[in-house]
Amino acid sequence: MKRIPVLIFILVALAQLAVPAMLAWGRIQTLTHGRVWKFKTAPVDPEDIVRGRYVALRFAAATILSHDEAYQKFAAGTKVYFILKEDADGFAKIERISEKPLSGDNVIIGEISYFLDEEEGVIFPFNRFWVTEKDAPAAEKAYRENSQRTKQNAYMTVRVRNGDAALEQLYIDNQPLADYLRAQAAKK
Amino acid sequence: MPGSINRRAVRWLRGQLPELVAAGAISSENARAIESHYGPVESRTNFSFVILATVGAALVGAGIILLIAHNWDDLSRAMRTIIAFLPLLIAQSLVVFVLMRRNESRPWREAVAVFDVAAVATAISLISQTYQIQGSFAEFMRVWLLLSIPIVYLLRTTLGAVVYVIGTIVWLFARWGFISQTNPMLFWVLLLLVVPYFWIRFRNDRDSRETATLAIALPVATVFGLGVTAEFAKATDLGGIAFAGLFTTIYLCGIKFFPRADERLHIVALFGGIGVGITAIVLSFEASWHMTREALWGQRTLTGNVGLALEFLFPVLAVCLAGWDIVRRRFQFSLAAASLPIVAAIAWGIANVCKPPTAEHLYKTDCSFAAAMLLNCYALLLGIDILARGIRTNSIARANFGLLLIAALAISRFFDSELSFVTRGIGFIVVGAGFLIANILLFRKRATAIAA
Repeated sequence: MKRIPVLIFILVALAQLAVPAMLAWGRIQTLTHGRVWKFKTAPVDPEDIVRGRYVALRFAAATILSHDEAYQKFAAGTKVYFILKEDADGFAKIERISEKPLSGDNVIIGEISYFLDEEEGVIFPFNRFWVTEKDAPAAEKAYRENSQRTKQNAYMTVRVRNGDAALEQLYIDNQPLADYLRAQAAKK
Repeated sequence: MPGSINRRAVRWLRGQLPELVAAGAISSENARAIESHYGPVESRTNFSFVILATVGAALVGAGIILLIAHNWDDLSRAMRTIIAFLPLLIAQSLVVFVLMRRNESRPWREAVAVFDVAAVATAISLISQTYQIQGSFAEFMRVWLLLSIPIVYLLRTTLGAVVYVIGTIVWLFARWGFISQTNPMLFWVLLLLVVPYFWIRFRNDRDSRETATLAIALPVATVFGLGVTAEFAKATDLGGIAFAGLFTTIYLCGIKFFPRADERLHIVALFGGIGVGITAIVLSFEASWHMTREALWGQRTLTGNVGLALEFLFPVLAVCLAGWDIVRRRFQFSLAAASLPIVAAIAWGIANVCKPPTAEHLYKTDCSFAAAMLLNCYALLLGIDILARGIRTNSIARANFGLLLIAALAISRFFDSELSFVTRGIGFIVVGAGFLIANILLFRKRATAIAA
């Protein structure tokens, strides 16, 4: 009698383990084998930057003006595939948008934004960068100071593989966030 | 329900049984018969102890996570991944232990259930942070709920089931927050997953406080779900009938399935009854009957049609429940309350008689006024009926609820009608005098009953 609930629970336990394990496994694959893209960050509404323990991100590449033909044909909220290419400075930009499923190390899945008049025309599948609670205020300050209209000195490296995109590191002044914060702290 | 002294005596007797069998005083069949006579052992467990054990487990879990988080920054991704799984593995081992060795102990079951469910959430969140996995709160809730519901069944935790139902409401609101027309179908699936557990509790342990808590959590969740469904199905015109049906169903189920020896109402019936009253008042406003006619002409998807069917489900259910008992002449419910869905349906029909509204009139027609009039008369009758029942059964609470309904109706009309101040003034004096007279009558009746 006792065996049956235990056997059922073993199945449940495997499912409970499988969900986080699969999340981690997919990311490990993308992070090790994916192609690296650099996404230049864009200014964020100051109210919106740190929500608890992550930095809210915006990307220059997500800016498509609303009169752009490339995306006018899509309704707000449509799930789309962005085909990326590198610009002259080595940063990622959207080459074209497709509704048909595509795969590859230059494709990310996203959405057409609801805010048509805003500068952010499309939504990338990544918009927050988790930081530790200790680093959060300093990270917020660093991001804000280096993602202004006059001074854009931050970018995010993203690994892309088979349509899956994994945030790798936030670079500020060409240093990983943690190194940058350490250097800033040492200066004081 | 045996008192505490009684319970102690039963515990003593249970302890004696093996000795008595060994001594040959009674046979083992006798011992089993005595055991079953006093019901399952677990009914002895103190409810507050269960809650304390649950809180204790949650605190220990939180403590472990804090200890791990202490040096989080210095750990590599691989190390963090391993640590994310640790609480989950510990919790799962404990669940196996409880299933094998402590299956009859309710505090153990409730406590490990909380620990396991919290560990699942911890593992998913820690992995998400470590690997920068993006995703909405609603997605997280959905996965979490689906991974947690088997625990409710395996560890037979009613507290867990209540928390699960609250979780489905949280999921609904997380989805609903941004885009107004949320597809609520998954909500109904999630809610249905816990219904068999409720059924088991209802069959085994109908009168316990936990079953009552779950019995009230389910209809509350249904109310939220129906609201979102009505909006999703683009059939908000039918929302009035749907809610009338839902609250009447809850009221009737409360009376039928949770009967009480005394004249008081079970909490489920009470919730339904109050819902019936509020719905009647809401529908007495003329604005409730401004028809958009989307219900009839709007384009809908398959899930939209399922939503529409759900809106019809509860009124039909209410009519069937009431009809069945009326035919068998065995009803104890208030006929006035039970007829709300029918009255609402008639009013809906009246409101739709007039020709399709034009933009200038903003959906307002003579028919919507007629429909509101019908509901006004109904709400007044309902108030009087509840008042009369209160006086008859000597229930001050019920009589005052009836009066409250009448007063609410009067106040509503004060705001949206064009009656003269004199008429409104007289109306208020009549209602206020009614309150006083009814309460004086009731207290006097009660005083004479006590004296006798």
